[in-house]
Amino acid sequence: MPLDQQKLNALFPASEEAGRRCIIRAVDVRKVYRMGKVETHALRGVTVDIYEGEYLSIMGPSGSGKSTLFNMIGGLAKPTSGKVYIDQVDIAHLDHNELAWLRCRKIGYVFQNYNLIQVMTCLENVMLPMSFAGLDSEEARDKAMYILKLVGLGHRPLHKPAELSGGQQQRCALARSLANSPDIILADEPTANLDMHTGEEMIELFAMLRDELGVTIISATHDLKMLKRSDRILWIEDGHIVRAAKPSEVDFGSGEFH
Amino acid sequence: MPSSIQNQVRLPLSVAFGIVMQGIRIRMGRAIVTLMGVVLGIAFLMSILTGQSIRQGVSREAEMRAEGNRMLSFLTAEIGPVEGRTLGVIALGPLNDMELRLVGELRNRRVARLQWAGPPPTRAAAGFVQPAGDASVGQGAAALFVMGEGTAPGTGWEARLAGLEQKVVAVTRHAQGLPEMPKAVTICLEREWQPDEVHARNIAAMRLRFRTGWIIVISLLVTVIGICNAMLMSVTERFREIGTMKCLGALSQFIREVFFIEACLMGFVGSLAGCLFGILFAAATYSVSFGVGLVLASLSPGTLLVHGAVSLGAGVILAVVAAIYPASVASRMVPAAALRSTI
Repeated sequence: MPLDQQKLNALFPASEEAGRRCIIRAVDVRKVYRMGKVETHALRGVTVDIYEGEYLSIMGPSGSGKSTLFNMIGGLAKPTSGKVYIDQVDIAHLDHNELAWLRCRKIGYVFQNYNLIQVMTCLENVMLPMSFAGLDSEEARDKAMYILKLVGLGHRPLHKPAELSGGQQQRCALARSLANSPDIILADEPTANLDMHTGEEMIELFAMLRDELGVTIISATHDLKMLKRSDRILWIEDGHIVRAAKPSEVDFGSGEFH
Repeated sequence: MPSSIQNQVRLPLSVAFGIVMQGIRIRMGRAIVTLMGVVLGIAFLMSILTGQSIRQGVSREAEMRAEGNRMLSFLTAEIGPVEGRTLGVIALGPLNDMELRLVGELRNRRVARLQWAGPPPTRAAAGFVQPAGDASVGQGAAALFVMGEGTAPGTGWEARLAGLEQKVVAVTRHAQGLPEMPKAVTICLEREWQPDEVHARNIAAMRLRFRTGWIIVISLLVTVIGICNAMLMSVTERFREIGTMKCLGALSQFIREVFFIEACLMGFVGSLAGCLFGILFAAATYSVSFGVGLVLASLSPGTLLVHGAVSLGAGVILAVVAAIYPASVASRMVPAAALRSTI
């Protein structure tokens, strides 16, 4: 489908400094979960800079603190200690209201299990963040339709999530994350529940968003194809970042990918 | 170009209302289950209240019937059967229910007519009650009644007694204070309660009040628990949805609004249906034991309306109160935690 470049530009105003500006900075982030008397150290001091327009993949076995890191840099939870800056703002200093604004406008979330609202249609799901942002429904409908077309779901706007395939649901979730033209997209295992072909399409979509619109994409993934397309790969283990590398520096045939 | 963080916009209530309506429409089955909790609770409360008023009505009715019969038998013991005869009535003021009933009973016993002096009875049929001047009342009548609120005149009895077939004057209340009349038989139809009888009646009334009060308290408790449970269920099953909405930028305030609007709606619709079911159920069950006519006669629309309003108010308030806890849990939830939950 040919994309309307003008409309695209309007949707995502390009940043002149795209490239090396640090959009997320985590400094010595620690997170401790307390369950009764048991303390679980999910993160043990993670420091990372994420740059604007970067396509970052995070790898790590389950229980490594990957999801916790995701929640921290996505502003979904606050760290026990350490600082998280999103767009140079310390999120610890934000109140509920400002955090909600941040989650609404700055960051788009794509969850592993989609987390679409089952009682709403595809279109309504995409319109929801727009209405939270205060857009009137006519405008929101037009914009949502445009985004749905962008992700290749323009033909099924009025279907409920339950009536869509996994790939289509994931596209809908991606469309929803794009609703308020975010600077950052956080995707947790976006291709894990998809077949190979749709997974590839999803990866292409992410690459397109990064290349054309300068959106920063952060994804937790084990998908080799996705890793190969990313700009940088982080390994996280037992609450620490153990390695960071460009895909070109990585031997994808080695044992660390199994 | 670091952009400054702004405050998230407060959405108008209509947006929350739209989301609530959509949720209810889609999850109709679930909504009906929640609604049934409210309906059952309020139906229980309403049937207790209605049943109480029916029982009171029926027992008052039965008491008044017995009292009417007692009064009439007291009268017929003095003047013989009243059928086909004319009786005089001096109404001193407005009649009470008992006196109105007595007038009705006289008509049932085929008294030919009542000569009526004073304010006419409200429920009496024309043709039976015949207005007459204070001076002419009693002319050609079998006996004379003094009814109504007020004090009997101290004079003029000679003239009134002159026209009576039987020199009998019956007052319906002690308080009417008939003067001494040596030439006539004066009787008072109002029952004289002995102190121990009064005491026994008071105790019985107190027991009844206590028992019905207790039942109402229990029924309110049942209602609260039913509604709370229903509201809690409807929140817990939506933890994930709430978490998602928070991730997408919904304010805690907005989440609270959604739950309170839903609670109000559920409370209102459920209570309305509950009131209806409660009244129907109580009326149907009491009709079996007392008969439809008596039950319908003892139901006053005013009382029903008051009880209905109380139940409706209770339903809405209870639903909203029941939603406070779940709504605050939902709105305070950290989005990450809400997404993790697997309910």
